[in-house]
Amino acid sequence: MSNPREFNWVILTVWLLLTCIGLVAIYSATQGPVSEFLPAHIQSNFIKQLAFVVVSILVMLGVQFVSPRTFMQLSYVAYFIGIVLMVLTLIFGNEINGAKSWFRIGPFGFQSSEFMKIATILAVANYLTSRRNISVENIRYALISVLIIIIPTGLVIAQNDFGTAIIFIALIPVMLFWSGLPYGVSLFIVSPAIILYLTVLNWQLGLLSAVVLTGIVFFIQRRKWLTITSFITGILTVIGVRLALTEVLQPHQIARITAFTNPSYDPTGAGWNVIQAKTAIGSGGISGKGFLEGTQTQLRFLPEQWTDFVFCVIGEEFGFIGAGLVVILFMILFLRLLRIAGTHKHPFAQLVTVSVTAVYFIHFFINVGSATALLPVIGIPLPFISYGGSAFLTNTIMLAIILNMDFHKREFSIYR
Amino acid sequence: MDTRSSNRTRTSIRALQLIMLGLCLVVLGRVFYLQIIQYDTYSVLGEENSIRQEYVSPSRGLIFDRNGVLLVDNEPIFTITITPSKFDKEKIPLLASLMNVSDSVITERVNEAQRYSWYRNSPLLTDVDFETFSRVQENLWQLSGIGHEIGSKRHYPTDLQASHLFGYLREADRKEYEASDDLRLGDKIGKSGLELIYEDNLRGDLGVEFQRVNAYGQTIGEYEGERAGQNPLQGDNIITTIDAELQAYAEELMQGKTGAVIAMNPNNGEILAIVSSPNYDVRRLAGRLDRQYWADINSDTTRPLYNRAISSRQPPGSTFKPLMGMIGLHLGHVTEETIIANRGGYQRGRLYRDIAPLGDYDLEKAIAFSSNTYFYALMDKIASNGQFNTWSGLVKEFGLGVPNSIDLPSANQGIVPDSAFMDRWFGKRRWGLGDMINLGIGQGVLSVSPLQIAQMTSSIANGGYKIQPHIVHSVQRSDGTFEYTPIVYDPIDWVKDEYLEVVKNGMRRVVEEGSGRFYAKTDKVAIAGKTGTAENPHGYSHGWFTSFAPVDDPQIVITVFLENAGFASTSAAPIAALLHEKYLTGEVSRKFVYNYVMNWVPKEDNSQRSE
Repeated sequence: MSNPREFNWVILTVWLLLTCIGLVAIYSATQGPVSEFLPAHIQSNFIKQLAFVVVSILVMLGVQFVSPRTFMQLSYVAYFIGIVLMVLTLIFGNEINGAKSWFRIGPFGFQSSEFMKIATILAVANYLTSRRNISVENIRYALISVLIIIIPTGLVIAQNDFGTAIIFIALIPVMLFWSGLPYGVSLFIVSPAIILYLTVLNWQLGLLSAVVLTGIVFFIQRRKWLTITSFITGILTVIGVRLALTEVLQPHQIARITAFTNPSYDPTGAGWNVIQAKTAIGSGGISGKGFLEGTQTQLRFLPEQWTDFVFCVIGEEFGFIGAGLVVILFMILFLRLLRIAGTHKHPFAQLVTVSVTAVYFIHFFINVGSATALLPVIGIPLPFISYGGSAFLTNTIMLAIILNMDFHKREFSIYR
Repeated sequence: MDTRSSNRTRTSIRALQLIMLGLCLVVLGRVFYLQIIQYDTYSVLGEENSIRQEYVSPSRGLIFDRNGVLLVDNEPIFTITITPSKFDKEKIPLLASLMNVSDSVITERVNEAQRYSWYRNSPLLTDVDFETFSRVQENLWQLSGIGHEIGSKRHYPTDLQASHLFGYLREADRKEYEASDDLRLGDKIGKSGLELIYEDNLRGDLGVEFQRVNAYGQTIGEYEGERAGQNPLQGDNIITTIDAELQAYAEELMQGKTGAVIAMNPNNGEILAIVSSPNYDVRRLAGRLDRQYWADINSDTTRPLYNRAISSRQPPGSTFKPLMGMIGLHLGHVTEETIIANRGGYQRGRLYRDIAPLGDYDLEKAIAFSSNTYFYALMDKIASNGQFNTWSGLVKEFGLGVPNSIDLPSANQGIVPDSAFMDRWFGKRRWGLGDMINLGIGQGVLSVSPLQIAQMTSSIANGGYKIQPHIVHSVQRSDGTFEYTPIVYDPIDWVKDEYLEVVKNGMRRVVEEGSGRFYAKTDKVAIAGKTGTAENPHGYSHGWFTSFAPVDDPQIVITVFLENAGFASTSAAPIAALLHEKYLTGEVSRKFVYNYVMNWVPKEDNSQRSE
């Protein structure tokens, strides 16, 4: 057994702090004066979340006693069970908020796609690290890795849950990158997303980014065909986005996409969420309006304020002190987790840690980015803070696995 | 793990850490930007989001009589309101069934509110009964955008009808509220009577109130912050010159009759009572518009909305003779002693009939017994001497044929012709002496309103002064100060005391010896008056009686005009006499006259021109 001093107490503390902040925010968002305007099933969200937190703490503790090798051994089984659960959900599941991703067990709804995040990460990591000679530079291995991710992605899309699908898709470049995909190629893979985002903001900016990114790709890799492909892809992305925004899409679709930059275009429709979210955060000021005192929160101006816009509740009621603390806690979490990945000798542990960190980060960035109108509104919860039992449990299990592998590092490396 | 791989791991971790650190700083910067740099913008936005500015209607000014009797005040009504942006049109059937009206009524009102403002709270239905009000209130939770408020409507605490005097209010129409900053959809404004003329005084100023609202627009409570509301400024009160008791009595006497009564103080032009009959029920127009009733009074052939007291236009008939006599004296065509004999009429090209007793008439007697011959002859002289336009000018100085600026709407100017008018009316050179001679007895194209006759009579009674009839004595502003209606009291230059003496004596004798002796003569009050008949080509003649009392120190002028009344001496005169007695002695001694008036029915009049 390892020395408890070697346990990563910093990460555990950050996790506990985020969880507590989340409970406070959910309490305010569902139990405050606003509860008068909320249906009963939403008012009960706080209690349900509390129950999940208690369960999660037990799981967190329990996982620490498991041998790290178990995660490798269970990875394919978990993946298979996950796929089966998702298919079952698709057939028998309940539809909530338009997404058919819920599996009812008594009073609790369970989201199979959340569980699938862990299973997929473990499965890909196990596959890519099971033999010494596997490298993604070999196209066959790369394709199989992508396939392992694409299958659950397809199922998530079939469940109509695009937010979660983005997480899965984002895993592809991260995992490939970590497994040895050349930097230039990795950058090339993510570059369309960056160009797309910047083109929506401003097409000249998009064009500029396409040129600059191609330059960087060339500088890193110095491969002729890769550079040409990168350049053509970049230009095509800019042209495609321009065409979509001016010719192809209907005005209401354009409004939805561009609402985050120009919410006043449709202030009662697509722009409403953005305006209300920005107003909530902005009106918080330095120290906020006080617990249960936020007018945007308590008078029901914020949509989905216990999940997708929970950051606005914190921003409004606790101001920059509260919102800034949350961002800094996440920053500490990300940097610490990546540092752990660096200390691992075993590539499986490295890959799992990096992937989980990436999942957290993408959740964080998209959620807070949506709430602060840096990004279009994409319904994704904020890890450890947003209401959502399955998500909280899943995120905790992932963290518990990382902490376990870190804690049992030396024991783990023996099995290399 | 080989070195290459180890290096790559270190680089990759650095790269990922840099990317995440960078993006986290971007997020932190964004939060800083929103919360610290743009705080001023968003704190205002946030506040505005949750605060609704509501206008608070001021209470409309009150109307009092001359003795401080409250005539018009306000009473609370329940109003259902709507904010169209928050309202779901699929709820129209539900709302309609809760309110017991048809869907189309609600739809129409919703559309109107929508046209007015998408975001403002507008009245949907006003003056709903308490039961409906509570039913809607209980269901507000399923009717987003619907609200309620307590409004007010006019209330009339006395028994007075006085519909033409007070006037009614109606919701401002689209043109009106769009043209005004102070009016909102559903606000009522005066449409007739004092309510119209004194609209700007009575209405008051809108107040502003801030309320906390949630995202659904429901009011959560009073806003307690920095922004101060503003209390509405109550409308000005109006103190009229009306004597409520006299007005009530006049209304009672005019019941079932068609016509008008005006009682006025001849010394300052204060209207003491003004009645137009038939009238309408101003109480039924106070609340929510009763469409059926509104249609009824608009299509009623007796025209109850029409204010006969000031808008009616009729020949003055013999009531014109006293003024005519004074003009004769002034122009020197007759003196007090001039005798003109009545031999059954006046012969000039044709016979102008006169059914006054045959014999010799001086001016006083000609007025007392209403001899037409005297005034035909007089008018003939005026016309023959080319003084037609002079005559017209003199008549107009008594307020006839000129606009009257009484503080009620649609006062009629009437017609006092001059040659230019005759040219227009008949055509150039297509009118002659005959058309002018007729004017001498108040017939022909001459036409006046009862108010103008009362004004003319006042100028005779008060010793030759022009006065301005008015109804409002003063306006009491909400700060307690008063604004008084200026009194007009200008001498009419050409009128001399000796003219007035003859004329007044003649008018006194009308009541003592002439046609007025049957009902207008009473030893309680010394009344002087003059009857008159307005020829009516469509039926019974209209009857006039204009009078003042007491004869030596006139305090009141009463003019009565009855349509299709036949003999004015037996129809209009008794009403005037009762009112004189009532006003000057406080009671009516001759009950039989009262009973007579109350049971009076029109009869045909065969002696039209002799009165």
